[in-house]
Amino acid sequence: MPAGTPGPTQRRNARPLEKVKYFVINVFLLFHILAISCWALPLNNPLISSFRNLVRPYFIWSGLFQSWDMFSPDPKRVNSYLEAIVIYKDGTSTLWSFPRMELLSANERYAKERYRKFEENLQNDQYSGLWPDAARYIARLNNQKTSPPKTIMLVVRWSEIIPRTDDKYDRGPWNSNIFFTYDVQPEDLK
Amino acid sequence: MRLKSLGDAWNAFFFAPKSPLPIALFRILYGLLVIITLLLLRPDWLTWFGTHSWVSLSTMHALERGPRLNLFTIIPQNDTWIEALFWIFLASASLLTVGLFTRFNSLLVFLCLTSIQQRNLYITSGGDTFLRLAGFFLIFAPAGAAVSVDRLIRIRRGKEGDSVLPRPPWAQRLIQFELALLYFSSFCWKVQGAPWVQGTALYYVYHLDEFHRFPMPSPFLRPTMLKLGSWMALALEFSLGTLIWIKEFRYTILSLGVLFHLWLEYSLNIPMFEWDVLAAYVLFIEPEDLTHAWSWIRGRVAVKALQRS
Repeated sequence: MPAGTPGPTQRRNARPLEKVKYFVINVFLLFHILAISCWALPLNNPLISSFRNLVRPYFIWSGLFQSWDMFSPDPKRVNSYLEAIVIYKDGTSTLWSFPRMELLSANERYAKERYRKFEENLQNDQYSGLWPDAARYIARLNNQKTSPPKTIMLVVRWSEIIPRTDDKYDRGPWNSNIFFTYDVQPEDLK
Repeated sequence: MRLKSLGDAWNAFFFAPKSPLPIALFRILYGLLVIITLLLLRPDWLTWFGTHSWVSLSTMHALERGPRLNLFTIIPQNDTWIEALFWIFLASASLLTVGLFTRFNSLLVFLCLTSIQQRNLYITSGGDTFLRLAGFFLIFAPAGAAVSVDRLIRIRRGKEGDSVLPRPPWAQRLIQFELALLYFSSFCWKVQGAPWVQGTALYYVYHLDEFHRFPMPSPFLRPTMLKLGSWMALALEFSLGTLIWIKEFRYTILSLGVLFHLWLEYSLNIPMFEWDVLAAYVLFIEPEDLTHAWSWIRGRVAVKALQRS
């Protein structure tokens, strides 16, 4: 045992408060090592799933939730980006683009990375609850006093990455889809 | 193996007093990374977290249910208060970096960090998550026991001598554990996907426009190299998650890990993630080696100064 490690004799002689502290720290260690492992590792086992559900409220509250599945199990196989069609009350329209990382300078990419992440989530149907807020924000950004925005359409454009066996790269044709339409209300522009 | 020897190993690992130098250096790096993250966000504080942000607080509550540690739910919902929270956060991160009122500031930094993430989870990525998790365990660590203003104050008041007292490293171990788990979990996720096992994954990753950073040298885009690269990533993540605990392999694996992250930093646009993770490598360096490195640097600086004079 390394010097300084509290041995059984030392622990027996420790003050009651120290004993309690030692016990509490051990419970804290055991619980967190076990809980974080069960949470983060992709294991499909009913026992582990029940344990995850048990610790979920604590993890969500404290911010200990985590997932390390970047580019996995399958990396994304399409290039995509978002745009918005803004239709004004006078019938005119404009195309508004989210910042696209590939069009920004290296420094700008550091600062605007949040947009990349946000766009990634916005394209996910699971987070469709974000779409009205995003549409309202775009409406405020494009608000003209003479003719305010009437309708916002969120558009996704995508192109497949075509697998090849040589060292060339092929992309498929660009497709697009309007996945959300929002009628702007006067109070949205305040 | 006996139960007693298992208990002794546990005690030695978590409680045998060790120099707090690695955790103190980690505190400095961690504080700097939090400051950089905040400054990069500075033009968009209100864009993402203001009263008229991309995602409203009520939408966030509707989508991400359950009680959460989130100071945004306590402060009044106006932009002045929200900006004030960010300035307090920045000040606290600066104090944590220099090690003044370290324990209090580590708690405050964690509270602010977890709050801004909980306020808008849809813009957070792996680096942010790692900062949040490390920040949680840093609260419990003796992060101000060395290289800190707190220590200078204690020395001045006669409460501490010249030598830094060793402390139980259990909180530091939890951050180390979190880092190793990050790698091991990434490895486990990847081996579940056919492209990683077949070696085609990097072809897709390198051709995602949004992740392009600097031009890739063409030999790295050849199918053989992409295969090797995909498998090397798997091997490295496995090693960094497991073999890193074996002392004989540690420095070799850490060196490979540094090269791995520098390569990712060059080739992919994943801002801050590499630096957030690399900062925690310092926790795996033996305190004696850190002291030797520091003595060597001081020696070199002294020699240079003498040469100049």
